[in-house]
Amino acid sequence: MRIVMLSISHRTASVDLRERIAIAGERLDQAIQSLRHKYPHCEAVVLSTCNRTELYIARPLHEAPTYEQLDEFLADFCGIESKHVTSAAVHREQDQAVTHLFRVATGLESMVIGEPQILGQVKQAYEISQRSSAVGPVLHRVFQQAISVAKQVRSESGIGEGRVSIGSVAVDFASQIFERFDDKVMVAIGAGEMAKVTLKHLQALKPAKLWLTNRTRQRAEELAATMNLQGAVGSTGSGGGGVRSFEDLDELLVEADIVLTSTGATQPIITEERFRPLIRRRRSRPIFMVDIAVPRDIDPAVGNLSNVYLYNIDDLQRVVLKTHENRSAQVEQCEKMVFEAVRTCMATVQHRDVGLLIRALRDKLHSYAKDERQRSIKKRSNGSGEIDTELEKLLEEHDHRLVNKILHLPLQQLDPKNPDAPLGFFAAALKRLFALEEGTAAANEKETGDDAAK
Amino acid sequence: MTDTLTTISLIALTLLSLAAWFVALSRARRVARGEPVTTFASLQTFLVGLCIALGAGLFIYRTLAVHKRWQPLEAHVDGLILIGALLAMTVTYLVKRGRMKGLSLFALPFLAVTFAWAICASLWTFRPFGEINSVWKMIHLSSVYGGMLFFIMAAIAGGMYLYVQKTLHTRHDPSATRPFASLEAIETLIVRTSALGFALLSLGLVTGLIIVTGGETRLGTGWWHSPKVLLAGAAWLVYAVVMNVKHTTHFRGARAAWLSIAGLILLLATFGIATALPALPKDEPPRPIFRSAPRPSGSGSEESRGNPLPYGRGSSSRSLASPRPAGTGLREIAFQRIDSVSSMLPEASCES
Repeated sequence: MRIVMLSISHRTASVDLRERIAIAGERLDQAIQSLRHKYPHCEAVVLSTCNRTELYIARPLHEAPTYEQLDEFLADFCGIESKHVTSAAVHREQDQAVTHLFRVATGLESMVIGEPQILGQVKQAYEISQRSSAVGPVLHRVFQQAISVAKQVRSESGIGEGRVSIGSVAVDFASQIFERFDDKVMVAIGAGEMAKVTLKHLQALKPAKLWLTNRTRQRAEELAATMNLQGAVGSTGSGGGGVRSFEDLDELLVEADIVLTSTGATQPIITEERFRPLIRRRRSRPIFMVDIAVPRDIDPAVGNLSNVYLYNIDDLQRVVLKTHENRSAQVEQCEKMVFEAVRTCMATVQHRDVGLLIRALRDKLHSYAKDERQRSIKKRSNGSGEIDTELEKLLEEHDHRLVNKILHLPLQQLDPKNPDAPLGFFAAALKRLFALEEGTAAANEKETGDDAAK
Repeated sequence: MTDTLTTISLIALTLLSLAAWFVALSRARRVARGEPVTTFASLQTFLVGLCIALGAGLFIYRTLAVHKRWQPLEAHVDGLILIGALLAMTVTYLVKRGRMKGLSLFALPFLAVTFAWAICASLWTFRPFGEINSVWKMIHLSSVYGGMLFFIMAAIAGGMYLYVQKTLHTRHDPSATRPFASLEAIETLIVRTSALGFALLSLGLVTGLIIVTGGETRLGTGWWHSPKVLLAGAAWLVYAVVMNVKHTTHFRGARAAWLSIAGLILLLATFGIATALPALPKDEPPRPIFRSAPRPSGSGSEESRGNPLPYGRGSSSRSLASPRPAGTGLREIAFQRIDSVSSMLPEASCES
């Protein structure tokens, strides 16, 4: 079986094209069914995320689909011109295709190196194909190995360590200050897009209350609506909290444990003079302040006060950059692990292919021997119909020994444990010389497997 | 024989604690580099587990085989072994239970110091407490050693708090300090251990007062303003504040951490004074700290237990102390003052 792959990703296609070829939800199942219908001897897995759409196919040698056919299939299915797909598609086969899959699963091909979501998406794609019975022994082995190696790489290297977004870094800092959040009050000052993104991360901590305040009240209410918070003054929404008047800022600062600021103010809105008197009212409770506004909303001198932990956008971005640096430093180690895993995986796949080939060859030779044996017995009986069972047994043993002796040397050469043997070449030659059909052997294997399952 | 075994075991415990600490350090470095630490974690758990087993075994062994009677706390060395084993257990529990893997980085050096101190208490400053013949004395010893354990834990947590806070103020990658737990969790640990230690210390002080004023050891009128009592009282006050930091305005955060460390230093100073100076009832004439007569070889170590020590608390040892004429010099007054105070503190502190 040949493993081939078509990939269109953030590296080769614009977001516009990626949107058009994205195959999500029920369409994924349709795409697999369509592929199977068109190429029934193939195994197929379709992986589609916001950053990539990829087709993984295992097909018998010299059979469809070719690269061009894959391009056409994807273009037809997504309703776009084939040239768009061809210009952005990357094709790989055999160990290169497997390497690509392993790199994708481990996050080495992701936009943010080492991001963990892709592994879940690979698993999901595999499971959907499995449900559609589109995964056979080859892709099953390859995807199982991909999931396994991705887990191994993540646990044995630091590729997944650290945070890669401002919001998640803020969450990390908050978790270093507070142990629990269900008794904490969070206050967001400002209602910009950045605030929304960061606030979503912080809201995941499930604080007891989340208050929003903004000079323009309407914008705070809009943000509250998107965050499932009720907009009325002082009211408690479904998430606990709501919108408060900007004039209540001092009260909010007394109440707050976590403060996020992102206003467009040109001068700091929280100064040392303003905050210092509040410390006593706060009973010196620790406060975590995240200032992602530029220019800054919180006077840096506030950060020097006791039990105040103040971080600005630069502090958070520095951590993000450090994470990227650390992950990049881990890439080489991960690639080595992937390389080893690909070698093992391909050896296993080839092992299976060679096994099937040997079985097909032996079956064919035995079939010839049987035919000749029947002919000889028929001649010996001279049309009397009496079968000499002793002679038949003798000939059968003779044929068996002969076939085994003939096969002995080729089988030695085809030993998958021999690393120097050009297995692919020998396999192809045998197939050609003896007119062996891979599909038949695979079908035989499947039948055997089904029988065993029964 | 028994002394040798104790000494060897204590040296082994000290080395094991240090080894566990080095493993914990290497583990922390690897965590910071994002490298796998499974082997290091297992090795550290194994070493600390060995400390617990060996420490507990040694304590039981000394009770049954060395003292040959059911009096577990025969001398200060027993108290230190008990504290060491319990400290290792507490740290293992906290590390396993909570998000406090980094606690071992701060606790293991304390463990090593405790066992090293036990070596000193066994070899050079050994003196048995004598017969524990009252319930008060037993409660006094147990509560003071128990309290000490919790105060050590509070100080360790205080050190960890200051480290995490410093790291947060430097605004470095927060993932590097993740194993050290959150400031809130550490502060809670400080408050809880201080509260437990405070309760036990209060019990120890009350029983100490009962002992010195009402029974076995009588002190003179000036015992209450001696350094030992003042230091113990100051430590008691410090912990009274620490256990209530969440209700105060001025002592939260780093100040609570510093106070927990200061409290331990005060207690150690109290122990130090009690260890350095002998305890005597006030009606006895003051005696020098160090004997003027040459000591027989091996005296002062556990090996000399067969011979009465020259300046012990028991009547037999007191009878051998070289009498010193009552004088009016500063040195004599100091001896009298400190002697009177030393009996306030746990029996362990009276060794010298």
